[in-house]
Amino acid sequence: MKAEPLAESRLLKSILVIDLNKCTGCRNCELACSARHTNSFNPRRSRIQVLKKEDLNMVLPMVCLHCEVPLCEQACPNGALVYNEKGTLYVNSEVCIGCGNCVTACTYGGIEIDPVTRKAIKCDLCWGDPACVKACDYGAISMVEAKREGLVAREKGTEPVHQILNVEGEVQE
Amino acid sequence: MTFPYKGYAGYYLDVDLTNGKVHKKEMEKDWARLYLGGSGVAAKILWDRTGPETDPLGPDNVLVAGTGPLTGSMFSPSGRFMFAAKGPLTGVWAESHVGGFMGPEIKYAGFDFIILNGRSKKPVYLFVKDGDAELRDASHLWGKETDVTTRMIREELRDPTVETAVIGPAGENGVLYGAIIVDFYRAAGRAGLGTVMGSKNVKAIAASGSLGIEVHDMEKYLEANDVEMERLNDPLWTESLASLRKYGTTDLVAIINEIGRLPTKNHWTGFYDDADDIGPETIREGYRIGQEACHGCAIGCKYIIRVTDSKYNTGPIGGPEYETLMAFGSNCLNSDVESVFYLGKRCDLLGMDTISCGKTIGFAMDLWEQGIITAQDTDGLDLGWGNAESQVALVEKIAKREGFGAILAEGVRKAAERIGGEAWKYAVHVKGLEASGQDPRAHQSIGLTYATNVRGADHLRSLSSLEELGYPSIVTDRFGKEKTDAILDIMSPEHKGELVWDMEDLYALVDSSVICKYGTMWPPVYYFDTFVNVIPHLTGMNEWGDPKFVRRAAERISHLRRAYNHRLGVTRKEETLPKRLLKDPMPTGPSKGGLPDLDIMLDDYYEFRGCDKETGYPYESKLKELGLEYVIEDLKARGMTR
Repeated sequence: MKAEPLAESRLLKSILVIDLNKCTGCRNCELACSARHTNSFNPRRSRIQVLKKEDLNMVLPMVCLHCEVPLCEQACPNGALVYNEKGTLYVNSEVCIGCGNCVTACTYGGIEIDPVTRKAIKCDLCWGDPACVKACDYGAISMVEAKREGLVAREKGTEPVHQILNVEGEVQE
Repeated sequence: MTFPYKGYAGYYLDVDLTNGKVHKKEMEKDWARLYLGGSGVAAKILWDRTGPETDPLGPDNVLVAGTGPLTGSMFSPSGRFMFAAKGPLTGVWAESHVGGFMGPEIKYAGFDFIILNGRSKKPVYLFVKDGDAELRDASHLWGKETDVTTRMIREELRDPTVETAVIGPAGENGVLYGAIIVDFYRAAGRAGLGTVMGSKNVKAIAASGSLGIEVHDMEKYLEANDVEMERLNDPLWTESLASLRKYGTTDLVAIINEIGRLPTKNHWTGFYDDADDIGPETIREGYRIGQEACHGCAIGCKYIIRVTDSKYNTGPIGGPEYETLMAFGSNCLNSDVESVFYLGKRCDLLGMDTISCGKTIGFAMDLWEQGIITAQDTDGLDLGWGNAESQVALVEKIAKREGFGAILAEGVRKAAERIGGEAWKYAVHVKGLEASGQDPRAHQSIGLTYATNVRGADHLRSLSSLEELGYPSIVTDRFGKEKTDAILDIMSPEHKGELVWDMEDLYALVDSSVICKYGTMWPPVYYFDTFVNVIPHLTGMNEWGDPKFVRRAAERISHLRRAYNHRLGVTRKEETLPKRLLKDPMPTGPSKGGLPDLDIMLDDYYEFRGCDKETGYPYESKLKELGLEYVIEDLKARGMTR
């Protein structure tokens, strides 16, 4: 299976990049994200999720990739996924009906249904000031411009998932 | 819900194992207000429900699993979980703490505490999820090692994110130092709480939660939290924190050996010639493959190792902590670090405390050298110093309570009683708990810590690193300029009573909030003011904004745990040290000739603690000041107050 070819998006401005070598799996990012978005500490409602399999030494932080061609946006029947003025696709929860089409459409697991509100949630880059970046004591998460260098770095952070899904990456160094 | 405070899940589970029922109850307001959580609340519960008549391995014992308001609340390092019960190894107060992700998950699943009462008729495990709990059959898990148990539970619950606290065969078989293992390689190891769980026919607690924790004032709490986190960036700690991140706790092998405090040859001395072979550089260069951290932790001391091309091959596992390297390594004169990794791994899978296990094997090796035991006693095993193969064989025998292993499964105190003769001279313990990896002959205040620690010879209730690492500014801030020099002198007993009293109260809050010792013990970043700063905004308990109230709460917790032990017969006479650490001068190494002045320090400690110097019993006036009238009433009738 081949991923969608890389196309410069005129709307997308910033993406999150994760350095897997720096991540210790502490999940402080989840706490910070839930504090910002839900005013509580609740990792299950976090937009960033750290998957772990400790007996295999596998720690895999996953967050919306902020795709150039977002499948979630295409799958939403209600137009709930829209770009904000910061150039970030976010869920307008007033419009979202919680159908879960976006969750099915996303090949990466970057969008989920909130267990409390039952509406879609995904990373909105905290409207330009991501709480997870600040909360990561190991400097593993950064927000960068959606340009070539950033896209290459994002690619590196998703390699294990590519291997699992048998998808080839598009951006070569 | 009428429980008024945030930062807590707001409920606890009272599990009646005998009748197979779980009761969900609202948190008691005064538990939070007066005892905060964790150890403090566990002390109140155990005081109310257990006592001198309680058989530690009988259905009448109570196992408390607890969290605190800071658990899972983004304070670093706060991914902790704790257990407490009347201890089977010691017969006194027992508590044990563990990192990982289980503590926070229990709270997200809706509970601050789980109290296991009675005894189930058949093996069960407790599953808590989003405010509900059920006892599930564990017949198929009984006898399984801890990693297999964890995988099987996750599979049958069809949820790979379920967190677990499980026991292994050792806890099931009644080894008196059975551990509770969390997330594969983190252990609530000390004092046999895994065995208490096993005696109740409980194989595991599993949790999954999406309820989250509410905060009284999120904005102010995060602000206060940021201020505390910023303290970690003080250049004073740069070196210590860098070491923890680079080496985990293995660096302590080198640091402690350098001052002659590394237990070697069953505590005969404090200096190990081959320490480098089991030390930080060897491990980092040869075996370390990654760094991990517990929930929300900025320090990240956990590390992962892999061993290849060896008879002790292993896939990725949590690397051994300092204490494990000491217990199976220097303490048994075993410099083969790969075998030490293997021994640590086997203890994790069998669910055994590496300290008590390693120390008990070291004790047996000492008896072998002294000629007190021979091959006839050891099922034919050669217990010469450093014999790794015999260590490996003993670990398996102990877990099964097979042959000589059945004697060593009782710990050094009871094993010495059974072996008889001079064996007691080589049993290094306080109150029945095998000594951890320190030595008071090289560090005076540790003697007092060991003697007064409510759970026995262990550093975690009051160890001071201030004089060991030398933080003059911190010592002056906390104790005043005129005491600084004496406190910083590691071999002076002066003011060490005050130092240990202060640390014990600080750790009472650490263990009740429930957070990690890294950041308070080593390096000493957080102090009482930390709790004053963060607890009110998190919980809405405004009284916790008053430094005096906070100190009183800490003292209350310390006194309640002590009172629990008094009621079980502990007095000044039991708050002592084993002969080897008290009477035999350090024979070799940098601390050669050292001995602790225990009596001077004890007198000083009792004075600060508000206790009678002759008996160690508390003054009624002190208990009254702390609002412990119910303790006065009980102890007075027994003649245990002054």
